[in-house]
Amino acid sequence: MQDFLAYTVLGLCLGSVYAIAATGLVVTYSTSGVFNFAHGAVATFSALIFWQLRFDWGVPAPIAIFLTIFVFAPLIGVILETVVIRGLRGTSEVTRLVTPIAVLLGVNGAATWIWFRGGSRNIVPKKFFGGSKVDILGQAVFYHQLIGVGIAVVVAIALYVLLFRTRMGVTMRATVDDRTLLMLNGGRPDRMSLFSWAIGASLAGLAGVLLSPQQGALQIFALTLLIFDAYPAAIAGRLRSVPLTYAGAMVLGLSKLYFDWASDAGQKWLALRNMRNAIPALLLFAALLLLPQDRLRGTIVSRTRERFHVPTMKQAVAWGGVLIAVVFMLQTLMSGSAVISLANAMALALLAISLVLLTGYAGEINLAIFTFAGIALIAAWQFDVGPGGLATKESLSVPAILLSICVCAIVGGLIALPALRLRGLYLGLATFAFGIVVYQLVFLQTAPLKADIFGWKFTINFYTTGSLTMPRPDWFGIDFNDQRNFLMLMTVFFAVIGIGLIALRRSAYGRMVVAMKDSPAACATLGLNVTRLKLSVFMLSSGISGLGGLMWACQQRTLPNNNGFDGFQSLTLFMIAVVGGIGYVSGALLAGIFLALLSVVMPNIWGKLGSDYPGLHWLFVSVFGNFTKFVGPALIGIGLGKNPSGIAHQIMEGFRPYRRTPVAAAVWAAGLIGLWFLAWRGVIGNWTFALIVVASAVIVPYVIKAIFADRFEDDELAINGEHLDQIGLGREFRASDRAMLDSALGITSAAAEAEVHHVPA
Amino acid sequence: MSLLECRGVGMKFGGAAALTSVDVRAEANAITGLIGPNGAGKTTLFNCITGLLEPTSGVVLLDDEDITDRPPFKRARGGVARTFQRLELFTSLSVRENIQVAGEIRNRWSRKDRLDAKEECDRVLELLGIAHLADRDVGEIPTGMARRVEMGRALMTRPRILLLDEPASGQDEQETEEFGVLLLHLCENGTAILLVEHDVALVMRVCSFIQVLDFGRIIAAGTPAEIQTNQAVLDAYLGEDQNA
Ligand SMILES: Nc1ncnc2c1ncn2[C@@H]1O[C@H](COP(=O)(O)OP(=O)(O)OP(=O)(O)O)[C@@H](O)[C@H]1O
Ligand SMILES: [Mg+2]
Repeated sequence: MQDFLAYTVLGLCLGSVYAIAATGLVVTYSTSGVFNFAHGAVATFSALIFWQLRFDWGVPAPIAIFLTIFVFAPLIGVILETVVIRGLRGTSEVTRLVTPIAVLLGVNGAATWIWFRGGSRNIVPKKFFGGSKVDILGQAVFYHQLIGVGIAVVVAIALYVLLFRTRMGVTMRATVDDRTLLMLNGGRPDRMSLFSWAIGASLAGLAGVLLSPQQGALQIFALTLLIFDAYPAAIAGRLRSVPLTYAGAMVLGLSKLYFDWASDAGQKWLALRNMRNAIPALLLFAALLLLPQDRLRGTIVSRTRERFHVPTMKQAVAWGGVLIAVVFMLQTLMSGSAVISLANAMALALLAISLVLLTGYAGEINLAIFTFAGIALIAAWQFDVGPGGLATKESLSVPAILLSICVCAIVGGLIALPALRLRGLYLGLATFAFGIVVYQLVFLQTAPLKADIFGWKFTINFYTTGSLTMPRPDWFGIDFNDQRNFLMLMTVFFAVIGIGLIALRRSAYGRMVVAMKDSPAACATLGLNVTRLKLSVFMLSSGISGLGGLMWACQQRTLPNNNGFDGFQSLTLFMIAVVGGIGYVSGALLAGIFLALLSVVMPNIWGKLGSDYPGLHWLFVSVFGNFTKFVGPALIGIGLGKNPSGIAHQIMEGFRPYRRTPVAAAVWAAGLIGLWFLAWRGVIGNWTFALIVVASAVIVPYVIKAIFADRFEDDELAINGEHLDQIGLGREFRASDRAMLDSALGITSAAAEAEVHHVPA
Repeated sequence: MSLLECRGVGMKFGGAAALTSVDVRAEANAITGLIGPNGAGKTTLFNCITGLLEPTSGVVLLDDEDITDRPPFKRARGGVARTFQRLELFTSLSVRENIQVAGEIRNRWSRKDRLDAKEECDRVLELLGIAHLADRDVGEIPTGMARRVEMGRALMTRPRILLLDEPASGQDEQETEEFGVLLLHLCENGTAILLVEHDVALVMRVCSFIQVLDFGRIIAAGTPAEIQTNQAVLDAYLGEDQNA
């Protein structure tokens, strides 16, 4: 009993820190409507700043605290709000989630760059007042922990006064309800949002500083994850209520400590060793179940139209064929290591393609793609290879693939269930929490699970040895251990799934899915059970990610259990996929290529340049290399607010001239094939070939436009990107606009000229 | 017995009451009008009827059956369809697809009498006079026409009662004229209509029964002739004019 009380005290201490962290989330969400996924990263960055000031430079604690919490952290918040968050107004839920994810990766990347660029480093933040303790109810409690409780109380009081006793607070609470209304009444939502982000970042900083000594040596991503633990508290508070958030935080803190108490601080129940780390994510699910049903969302009147062109079936099949042909031709020119890079890109593209259905068509979110890959891997491995499995094979069989697709679909359905009746954000959070639970309880589980169901005994091997080796398939007598053959197999898979997705999109089912994305409310009033349709989409997409995941695993061959399963890689893939243009199948391909480029190819190129020119090593490796690796992906993601349709969309726009002039396109393609032939025979070098291809892709559209000017006349109407029906919107209407409209409408120029004089120029 | 009936429906947003004990009904084979000044609570009532909002008190009856606790999609399957004042079109789909997908959704829940969604869609496009817009993006057609697309979409579910929220706004006089004829035609063919509309002339012309909402309360109900001479109604509308 004494013990129990002691653990209660510690639980409340921990809960206090969670309360501080979660409240920061609530404050930012309730004024800007953006869920700050980067909260943990801001906390970590602040903790590092504090460490730098206090322990590296020896600044006295009060000054260091002041600078960190009241200067640097709010500054980060202010910068984020002005540079990134403000641009997100009126964008889709997916964009509003992806951008903070990009910020998260960017801030963590920057922190790695600043503090850990040389690799591992021993940064050990210490507790306030060192190890001094005081005895409470028989439990020795650090002063540090008491400070946490004290701060939580102060924060609670300060927020109460701010929100309910000041005019500013009243306006802050009004901002998210109806910002237009607020503006009409003379409120200034922008200032409120700015202010709340400063407060939110400050609270993140506090939590970061308080939590950082827990870890021993500070690790950026681990500390960020520690702050994620506080998210369920914010969800319990429905992202709105501070008191409920505090209650949720206490439940969180107590659950963790009571688990310690019940398990004798991890001495008992070895199989559940990692349960402690999974508790917050499990509580997140519980909190989701308790949330009341959301009102069905109507159309988002978005500032930027995120509209995707759907290819016809003929086009889809043609492009599938072109993809296979191009990859085949390219690999003949590539060296072995380049083929591996391309194959990695294709494997990632196969993972990303499930998001075309889920996110591109249905507008829903899955932040645990790699978790599904891992589940598929375990299922197939258990079936084909694993000791105690059903068969022991040297290769991946079709039944194993089908089995893992089904397992993924079913698991996907189960985890989506609690979140389906809620907004997309919650499904995103549920998947992310799911990723953490599976990572902790399954991937890090080295003991085999022995089960006995009504006398049917079997063993499921998770990551018994810390890594799994996946055999590749062996079909039609082709050796897929050959990297080139396997690349082609993946390419064919990609093309087939892609064509299948487009067929799906063009079917009645696809139209319903898109309609659901556009307006769930309207769909429901037509009799559509939106929840069920969402469930089916999620299951289908999980199944596809299972297939993609298997191919990815086969490509990697051996996968250690810490390879990308901790959640961050899923975040990155999701972000890059959305940036690539997830409304298009080609967007998934681009995502795979980007990710492979950013994580492997570019750093290699910078590294090679660095060793070729040792004098410029610092520039190539320390600046460009680290930049690409740590901050590049994030910057790409942050730009998304400006171009929510993604890069694939822009590329397609760029290639429009080819579509209008099939003959010119054919000539260009024939020219490229000719060049490839020359390169293949070794007449021209591969680099020359690559350069010509890239250059022609950029230049030829202009040439075509110049030669076939008559076919692009109606494009001229969209001068400076203004479309015909939007001319003059948001600026003064000019006489030239009138003339342009007249000519477009076929009004004779004489009449038009006569009219022009009446238009104030 | 009315086809659709609201009994004592109340709706509060925070502290503010948008509807207070509202009784409204709509008969089968008739066009019923629901009018009232801006902010009277007409759209809110539609949301309560279709289930997009849960009323804080009162019940909604369809054919004397209490549907208050049913989710929106079940009410739609029961034969209630609607259009939206703030357009809720599927912006990724063309005009034709917007209408067709509604038929496809219907085919999912009404397996016994499926319809050929394509054919039905052509028929509805023709009926509403928007066949020439079929392949356009819904984002680029005028509001008046977009309202007809929404109406076509609702018709695809073959509803027993159609709730129209200001369908004539955005249409010119000529179009409104035709629109009135269309409403009467639909009604003759067995679709009951509950019409919210600011164009009082149109309402007077097509409705057989009119109910007037003001500040969330029903202040009058009767035939067009009765409503036109009702003092409370005149006050409500005049009051609005004076404030404006
Ligand atoms: N979601 C909401 N939250 C808070 N108040 C609301 C909400 N929806 C409507 N209201 C309020 O309820 C009242 C009724 O609004 P409603 O839109 O139903 O009126 P209306 O009769 O449809 O008006 P109009 O003729 O302008 O369409 C208004 O005062 C409005 O401000
Ligand atoms: Mg209204």
